[in-house]
Amino acid sequence: MAKRKHSWTTALKRGAVIVAALISFLPIFWLFSTSLKPYDEWAEWPPVWITERPTLQNYRIVFFPEEAREVAAEQEGSLDYKVSGSAWKAFQDSAIISTCATILSVVFGTLAAYSIVRFRTGGENFPFQFLTVRMMPPIAVVVPMVALFSILRLSDTYVGMILAYTAFTLPFSIWMIRSFLEEVPAELEGAAMVHGLSQFRAFLTVTLPLVKGGILATALFIFILNWSEFLFALVLTSGNVITVTLQVANYVSASSGKLYGVQAAMGTISTLPVIFFGYIIQKHLVRGLTFGAVKR
Amino acid sequence: MTDAAKTNQHRRRFLKGTAAGLAGFAMAPGLMGRAMAQSPAIENIHNVAAAKAKELAGDKTVSLTIMQPSGSLGNVKPVGDAFQEATGIEIKYLEVPLGEINQKVLLEAVSKSGSFDIALPATFGIPDLAESGILVNLDNYALTYEPEGFQDGSLYNIGDYYKGSFYGYQTDGDTYVMFYNKPWLDDETEQKGFADKHGYPLKVPDTWEQLDQMMAWFHRPDDNMYGGALYRTQFFIAWEWWGRFHAKGHYPLSDDLEPQINNEAGVQALEELIAATAHLYPGAKTNGLFENFEAYGEGNKFANIGWGGTQKYLNSDKSDMKGKTAYGLMPGGMQGDTLLRTPYFNWGWNYVVSSVSPEPEIAYLFTLYACSPVMSTIAVRDPGGYFDPFREVHYSDPEIEQTYTPEFLATHKVSMRNSIPDLYLKGQGEYFDELRVNLAAADSGTKTAKEALDDTARSWERITRRMGKRSQEVQWRFLKSIYPADVRDKLS
Amino acid sequence: MADQVAPHSAEIDSPKAHKGLIPFNVALVLPAQLTVLGVVLVPTLIVIWLAMTDWQPTQAVPWYDAQPVWYWNFYDLWWDDRFINAVIRTFAVVAIAITVELALALGLALLFLDEWPWRKIAVSLIILPMMIIPVDAANAFFMLFNDRGPVNDLISMVIGEPYTFSWLSDPTWAMFPILLCEIWQWTPLMFLMVLTGLMSLPQNQVRAAVLLGATPVRIFFRIMLPLLTPVIGVALLIRAIETFKIFDPVYIMTRGQPGGATETISMYMYNGAFVYFRMGYIASAALIVLVLVISVCLALSRPLKRHS
Repeated sequence: MAKRKHSWTTALKRGAVIVAALISFLPIFWLFSTSLKPYDEWAEWPPVWITERPTLQNYRIVFFPEEAREVAAEQEGSLDYKVSGSAWKAFQDSAIISTCATILSVVFGTLAAYSIVRFRTGGENFPFQFLTVRMMPPIAVVVPMVALFSILRLSDTYVGMILAYTAFTLPFSIWMIRSFLEEVPAELEGAAMVHGLSQFRAFLTVTLPLVKGGILATALFIFILNWSEFLFALVLTSGNVITVTLQVANYVSASSGKLYGVQAAMGTISTLPVIFFGYIIQKHLVRGLTFGAVKR
Repeated sequence: MTDAAKTNQHRRRFLKGTAAGLAGFAMAPGLMGRAMAQSPAIENIHNVAAAKAKELAGDKTVSLTIMQPSGSLGNVKPVGDAFQEATGIEIKYLEVPLGEINQKVLLEAVSKSGSFDIALPATFGIPDLAESGILVNLDNYALTYEPEGFQDGSLYNIGDYYKGSFYGYQTDGDTYVMFYNKPWLDDETEQKGFADKHGYPLKVPDTWEQLDQMMAWFHRPDDNMYGGALYRTQFFIAWEWWGRFHAKGHYPLSDDLEPQINNEAGVQALEELIAATAHLYPGAKTNGLFENFEAYGEGNKFANIGWGGTQKYLNSDKSDMKGKTAYGLMPGGMQGDTLLRTPYFNWGWNYVVSSVSPEPEIAYLFTLYACSPVMSTIAVRDPGGYFDPFREVHYSDPEIEQTYTPEFLATHKVSMRNSIPDLYLKGQGEYFDELRVNLAAADSGTKTAKEALDDTARSWERITRRMGKRSQEVQWRFLKSIYPADVRDKLS
Repeated sequence: MADQVAPHSAEIDSPKAHKGLIPFNVALVLPAQLTVLGVVLVPTLIVIWLAMTDWQPTQAVPWYDAQPVWYWNFYDLWWDDRFINAVIRTFAVVAIAITVELALALGLALLFLDEWPWRKIAVSLIILPMMIIPVDAANAFFMLFNDRGPVNDLISMVIGEPYTFSWLSDPTWAMFPILLCEIWQWTPLMFLMVLTGLMSLPQNQVRAAVLLGATPVRIFFRIMLPLLTPVIGVALLIRAIETFKIFDPVYIMTRGQPGGATETISMYMYNGAFVYFRMGYIASAALIVLVLVISVCLALSRPLKRHS
């Protein structure tokens, strides 16, 4: 009897997990499913859940608008989407900005975290001032940043975006790397220094290799943040620099409205690297998003 | 010639252009299809502009960057490619999200980064942009290069001017046009029933009063028939009210900028608008542009309002209304025995030149090139883009006729010629949003019509004070002076 | 959890006197500190200046030459219903979102306490939402809640007649899809945090309670929940801070429409600064928000501090 009841509750529990997994998956499924739909099924009623006429045209429009145009010209009633340039530029810009900002943030963050862990630099409250950066809503600093960037000639430039992203991810890198460094006993460096290495050399040769996994995880984590950022990109660029999150907003047409399928294709492609990196650092995600406060 | 004299001469030339527009209004619809004769100088202006641009560029490597709203590349690029071909001047394109372009142009006034030479902001933003100093005052260039009568061929150009100066060519014919269900209008039983009840024939309505009665007549939700598909979302509601209010014969502001919108006519217009809500399909309160024309395309609604884009959809295979639509100007109102028509131009894109551009003259020549009869026809042909016909010549182009149908174009052309403008004042966004929020509140019943308009008027006074009353007065007087002359005489 | 880390001895490494002008340890934090100062402190100073002006780019004066209006912006903000409503709405969103997220996360985490064959894969599936770019997630929800979207389709199947409600255009309901999007995307994070906390609870107490015959419900509320409090505190604090900034889903789905019914603080400020171009006025709002956030954070940072 007890056993039966047990298997019944277990089934219920597993069922709940399945429902949760389905809900988690539904929006992503819809994004992907829409990206394969031909134009006339984007906003059909009743909606098409899985298209019977899958097409790569939406992806073609994202990456090869010229070829897509030729394909469309041969198909009767096909969408005329002479509406946007190729998204390559957005991927390229996002890659440049995200990579540079990630490297800067992690290098600056490692140095600062090391100083904080080993020397208690600035006292107990010092690390918290970095956290305030993450606490203030970006919109509150965006207005003055527009003003500041205008006199520094940084609006709509790579350098400007990289600076902004570096500053706004520093709290994550400092706190996350700090939590990794705290796990390394200081005595190891002490021993190396007895052998005549300088403090900094000891850090580079002894401590750093021990936390390189953690630093890599931090880097991937920060890359994800940069790649997904929207508000700064929206306000601080005006067309010369364009990120993947911005490109999504460019798919509209006068006679067809929002190009759902194309937006979905762009969304699917742009979010893939994030999902990939996310799973690589899955066990560090919580540590990252809680500034190292919650570890495994 | 002094600069002042030049400006004067330009203004006279421009005002003459508006006067010429009136002729179109009086013309019988049958004559509409025929293009007005143009001088060879205008016909050939794209070649002249390109040659001049090439000469100015000389041996320098010059390139022009155009900032355009996403979705209009199909309109801009063919023209840009042709210009590049003709002059060797490289044309580059910057794409920014449709709703963000005015913001990006304005921020350029702050950052002066020189990231674009030419931009395509929405017309209603020209006053803000002109005040910010980011736009080049094009009076002198226009005087030098524009052939005599060039602006006459452009059917609506009120938005090209601010405080008497010229800032850029209109390049999109965004006038509000009415759509009606033709089979329903032609149905003999309906015609008889309607005439018996109201004492006048069922036809494309001339006044809002007639439209409201017809929508009420056809509104039979139980039979899946709806009176209309007019917009009731906040974003659109102010445009319809703007038309209803003007049709009652008033300007929104007095000469010294006192709001007149909350006068008796304004309140009445709003009450009529709210009453008409009862005869719209259920989606009216929530549907935006695309949902609207898709819903109207189902064929079970009598009236709709919209732009060229609406017609592009209705005339496509996706719509059940293809070939079943009658068109009309936005309804007017009776002033005694005479009919006052106030068609309305409520969006549009203008080619403007950035004051940060190192080559403003060449940039201007590109805009002249792009808006020339030959080139603008190529631009308007793109069926996926935004640009609707806006010059005389477009209305007789076979490709454009196929996209829009000759019947639609005939109405569109008359509407363009006689359209009243948006509130082209500095702070237009704030004035209009205040109106939108309050009208929506009145429509949903949280405020009475009078309260909503009084609240709007109070906010308008505050906005005017903040923007600087003196400066606003200058532009308002100017704007009133360039309302279509026929309308101007009848508004108070 | 955090207490498992190796103790670090601070004594051995007080920074040695350095040859250069700047001590070694200070030099290490300098790049980070300067970046933050440059991109955060300087703008904050500019905000303070702008807040006292009514600067608009349409005035054609550079922002540093703007005419001061001193405290008048703050006076106007106090009477600005849209601003006040946005503030209230934002706090409501934070409260609802983090409460629902916590409840869901606790429930989910309890399902994952024991080992079972597909557990790892199930965890991976459930945390998928937090890996999606927020803008894309918002776009997906925009499509889901379209008047002709799958959500209405599911409702139609249940009620047996076509249901084409336009969620995002209805003043009363427009906030709902936005909230759902936020909750959908961030419940997984809360779940991971709670699960991590649950897994590292000392098992003895739970086992003892089971032996003493306590019901699972009692065990959960009397033993597990109190032990989890610090983790939940951190989780709620971090999610509250992040949710307070909510912008991406609002911008993508409604931009604060209809009638400002979905305007959160960030959306209100974006509209004010970049649609109406009232930079000075919005700078005042920004200043208020900054002071508010920093003081709340200072007050709340104690649990976080104790925890690390």
